[in-house]
Amino acid sequence: MSGSVVTGVDFVGVPSTDWRRSRAFYVDTLGLRPDETADGEFWVGQTCFGIYEPASFGIEFAPQKNAHIALHVEDVAAARAELEAKGIEFLGETFDTGVCHMAFFTDPDGNDLMLHHRYAPRD
Amino acid sequence: MIDVERVDYIRVPVTDMDAANHFYGELLGLRRNPNSPGDDWVEYEVGNVTLVVMTPHTHDYEFAPLPPSTIALRVPDVAAAKASLEAAGLEVAEMWDSGLCRGAGVEDPAGNRILLHHRYAPYPDGSSPR
Repeated sequence: MSGSVVTGVDFVGVPSTDWRRSRAFYVDTLGLRPDETADGEFWVGQTCFGIYEPASFGIEFAPQKNAHIALHVEDVAAARAELEAKGIEFLGETFDTGVCHMAFFTDPDGNDLMLHHRYAPRD
Repeated sequence: MIDVERVDYIRVPVTDMDAANHFYGELLGLRRNPNSPGDDWVEYEVGNVTLVVMTPHTHDYEFAPLPPSTIALRVPDVAAAKASLEAAGLEVAEMWDSGLCRGAGVEDPAGNRILLHHRYAPYPDGSSPR
């Protein structure tokens, strides 16, 4: 292929054992924007996430471990405190890489997420 | 409520950076960010999201592949993309048609099952996919 035929990410799949519980977590707890028509979809900026139950496709459920989807927030410490007050447990202390802050947590099915903010300039 | 503005990036865990860069950079033709910080952390800009191709074993954790269809890449023509990747020697799964969209799965060299995807149906409000 010359140049890229890929023009974007259409959706990010969120494997779930209970899509209603997942939707409540992402939409009600994290405050992400639900899709206007599809109950199982929500948006983060310009990126669509689609909750699906692998069992209904005959696929064994396995959580997403490793993608560490980096959710951009302005203030990781403040966002973490707010989510902790709602009962979300984070994995370890907030990590400072020297260029960004990272706070790791998971959704109710164990899918890896993080709160992220890069404070260093890119150059 | 916390205010999540966007997805900064999504990690794509791999085991062999050379093979992964060939797949994502050359076969898929994704645009590599020249400011990627290291050889074991290469950033590809895919329109609305940054994909970070990286090796967990050099970042203190173990590799595990992403669940199928964690990442659905938009292509204008799934059949053409499938044919092109097959011509490059890759195995691409049978294309399906949901009635709204088409898709075909392909494994990257590390075993992450990526979806080539295109929605052709308009949305319920009559607008078309961008």
